[in-house]
Amino acid sequence: MAVKQAPQEWAQWSNGALMVFRRDFLAWVKYYKSSVILNFGEPLTNLLALGFGLGTYVAKMAGVPFIDFIGPGLLAVTAMNAVTFDMAFEGYDRLNENRIYQSMITAPLTVGQIVAGEYLWEGIRSLLYGAVFIVVLTALNLVKSWWALLLPLPLFVTGIMFAAPALWVASSAKNHEQLFYYFTLFITPMYLFSGVFFPITHMPGLVRDVIVVTPLFHVVNIVRALVLGHLYPGLWGDALWMILYAVLFGLVPVRVLGRRLAE
Amino acid sequence: MSDTVVMAKRLVKRFGAFEAVRGIDFTIALGECFGLLGPNGAGKSSTIRMICCLTDVSQGTLTVLGWPAHPGQRAVKRQLGVVAQDDNLDPSLTVRENTEIHGRFYGLDSCEARRRSDELLAFMQLEGRANEQVRALSGGMRRRLVIARALMGNPRLLILDEPTTGLDPQARLLVWGKINELKRQGVTILLTTHYMDEAERLCDQLVVVDHGEILERGSPGDLIHRVVGDDCLEVPGVDERQARAMAQFLDDYPVWTDRQADSLLVYGGQMDEVIDQLHWKNLLPRTYYRRRASLEDVFLKLTGRELRD
Repeated sequence: MAVKQAPQEWAQWSNGALMVFRRDFLAWVKYYKSSVILNFGEPLTNLLALGFGLGTYVAKMAGVPFIDFIGPGLLAVTAMNAVTFDMAFEGYDRLNENRIYQSMITAPLTVGQIVAGEYLWEGIRSLLYGAVFIVVLTALNLVKSWWALLLPLPLFVTGIMFAAPALWVASSAKNHEQLFYYFTLFITPMYLFSGVFFPITHMPGLVRDVIVVTPLFHVVNIVRALVLGHLYPGLWGDALWMILYAVLFGLVPVRVLGRRLAE
Repeated sequence: MSDTVVMAKRLVKRFGAFEAVRGIDFTIALGECFGLLGPNGAGKSSTIRMICCLTDVSQGTLTVLGWPAHPGQRAVKRQLGVVAQDDNLDPSLTVRENTEIHGRFYGLDSCEARRRSDELLAFMQLEGRANEQVRALSGGMRRRLVIARALMGNPRLLILDEPTTGLDPQARLLVWGKINELKRQGVTILLTTHYMDEAERLCDQLVVVDHGEILERGSPGDLIHRVVGDDCLEVPGVDERQARAMAQFLDDYPVWTDRQADSLLVYGGQMDEVIDQLHWKNLLPRTYYRRRASLEDVFLKLTGRELRD
């Protein structure tokens, strides 16, 4: 009997998670215009100002024109930011302000289902916002390879990878200000030092060691390789890091949020 | 199990060293409206959270719909409808989406969720608002929507945690009417409220709790009769000296007296005779009210008059 029940239970479980995803999608549909412009304006400004501005003086970076170099880097940043800010602020509000998580857990959902639904949505969200940026890169003739067709894969994983720590922070924060600590202490340094604007090869050894264990660095490597078509075996390592992060970080909010909801 | 929906035996909830619920016993029978009354901090919320399978039972047993209650007991959760104290509606969704997605959480498919949502929005008189954003609703409409949402899963036990707090009299009447209609349909209801007239009107059985313990239990009528007596004489604007004189005189009668602000309250039977005698002794001021004793009198007698936060 147990063997027969297992698939049905899995169907029920995943259906619950899918409904959390559906809830997020229904909410997003109502504000997507302003949200897309906000999330996408900043990296685009960066690309145009630095690419065409600074790019005139910095002719080449790691063997390619400067704008070709930072384009895919900013694509990775777009995905990270689209997910991080949404999950941190929305997650905080859903737990502390409008208490939507409480209503979900009272309806027969488990913390696991809630978290899984949120990750699924943030994965798709990372894809959606990434796709808009890819269109811009394509229009500026910055996509150099058909390998770029594989981008949805790393973008989806990027969504989960950054949704997890953001939900962790959202579940532990006592107020909105504490969310900004996370942005200032983790997100901004990653943005500046993960090889988005310059290769890390010439940084001091210790700094390099730190950068190599931060998540955005690996996303930038993979995304840039696919956009430029410069593939090399080391990318498998980056892919492994990304999956490792997604899984390790991904499990933490199940505990932290679960504890908050059982208070 | 058949006739008992909730059974608590020596139920305890501890938070660290603090005991919020200290070994209470009660049962909720099928089809009744059961009131859980008590001042703030009496242990009501902890009890409800345990029944909803949201938090651990520290000690004792708690059976809900035949299952032991503990977090993750989805067999129970699936059969509950919960109207939480703070109406945790989803501000990003429309009225209809709020009900539909909640139904989907309960495992309804999309057709079923749509049909049930239409039905319940009509039942709560919200059908004209189906496509509006939740933000646009008044307090009364929000409350009605929370109740409609709680009914989406077709619950066998409906938990109403202060369902009418903050509503105007019209909205309260409407909610009361709907609760009575649900009772007639055979839904078992657990109600908490700070409005004693509400409890008196809706509850078949109730318990009064304070400091985590049950002080009294029974039907509203039975409690009034037993705890304060049926009649009440309320004499406003009485100073300390007058009050003492009246209370002393009434020592020989089967009544008891109580002070509330500047009023003296006399509870008990044979109130006609009491009033005559007070008149005769010239102890009764010109203004006094004679009324039936209410659940409010019971509540204040049991839990005292000091403020709770």
